[in-house]
Amino acid sequence: MRASIARLSPKRCAGIVAGALLLAATSGYAARALHAQPETAAPPIPDLTGVWDGSRRSHPINSATSPWAKTLPEGAILPDGTAAGKNYVSNFPELNERGLAFQKIFDEPLSPKYDCQPSTPPALPYDPFPVEITQWPDRVLFRYEKDDQLRTVWLDERQPTARDYGVQGFSVGRYEGNALVMDTTNYVFDITGFDDYNGIPSSSQKKVKERYWRDGEQLKATVTVEDPMFLRKPASYTMRYLPAPKGSKLKAFECDPEAARLSVQFIPPRYK
Amino acid sequence: MAGRSRILFASVVAAGLAWASPVIAHHSAAAAYDETKKVEAQGKVTRVLVKNPHSWVFLEGADAKGEKVEWQIEMGGVTSMAWTKEALPVGAVVKAVGHPSRAPGSHGMTAAVFSKADGTPIGPRSGRGEAPPR
Repeated sequence: MRASIARLSPKRCAGIVAGALLLAATSGYAARALHAQPETAAPPIPDLTGVWDGSRRSHPINSATSPWAKTLPEGAILPDGTAAGKNYVSNFPELNERGLAFQKIFDEPLSPKYDCQPSTPPALPYDPFPVEITQWPDRVLFRYEKDDQLRTVWLDERQPTARDYGVQGFSVGRYEGNALVMDTTNYVFDITGFDDYNGIPSSSQKKVKERYWRDGEQLKATVTVEDPMFLRKPASYTMRYLPAPKGSKLKAFECDPEAARLSVQFIPPRYK
Repeated sequence: MAGRSRILFASVVAAGLAWASPVIAHHSAAAAYDETKKVEAQGKVTRVLVKNPHSWVFLEGADAKGEKVEWQIEMGGVTSMAWTKEALPVGAVVKAVGHPSRAPGSHGMTAAVFSKADGTPIGPRSGRGEAPPR
């Protein structure tokens, strides 16, 4: 190659350089021309900001049949505020053998809520308390009155590392159309991490996908959980929040260890 | 007994009666309380613990044999308990009806409806009691 270049005359070199410059200028023009094409307008970011009421005004209170139900009578109010139809389809999670075994030996006093350990998704969004959503350019903040929990949903494409395990996991999200879609991983094992009314645990393999969107004045959310350690397939519910009364502010929850633990003495002991 | 300056009286009055709770039984509440039964206790308020996740009212009463007992009554969270400051002062003698605790020999109650000793309803739940959300 060096020999070939050395054999070129100065005139030929100048011609090659000129050609290269022309090509570069043309490419730049072409690129600018492409940019000049009318762009498809990005959809507006959905406005989810505000204090949302998750109390029984919005949906049935959490119980052994809400938000997860094997059967429901026709007309029963669903988590999204609509009425169950005649042919209600169960959304109750299908447990694998490990899940069934854990459920079988579950002992209520083990539930960490009796020591003020906070609940996590999928239970936390459905707890009957207000939540405040704040949208920043690089993150969305979910502040729950229940257990004073703050979840940060990162929008800047960062990913969790092996050091990012925690009670509320690590959440990343993006806007898709009219919705905020978020994925949370890096949870720690929790004996009631799926649901404390049915004694279903969750593992560090738990993944929660949440989708939040506005439906008129309502805020709707679909919460989907997968956990191959305990579930045969993902399970999902759709719920709604209503706007909290104007001027509402979240209160400090300040879970009290004595008040949280007192009722354990009333549970007949299952194990000695 | 009603003539005592301090009423120290408590009794199970309707074990086995269906309880018309307006909410579906909570699994974890059902683990501690029998929501198919109700119990009545009467006694002196000794302490009111207004806290989250659940508040508690403590009554000094007596069992059917006249032995002194402490009733521990589980209530809702802080936001639903403002009424107790005026209505359940320490030293007041009140009656409570709610779901009894399950553990043998315990004296717990939830979803309680309170009234004065003369039967006058106290508090916002003068109609029916509700188990607090968990």
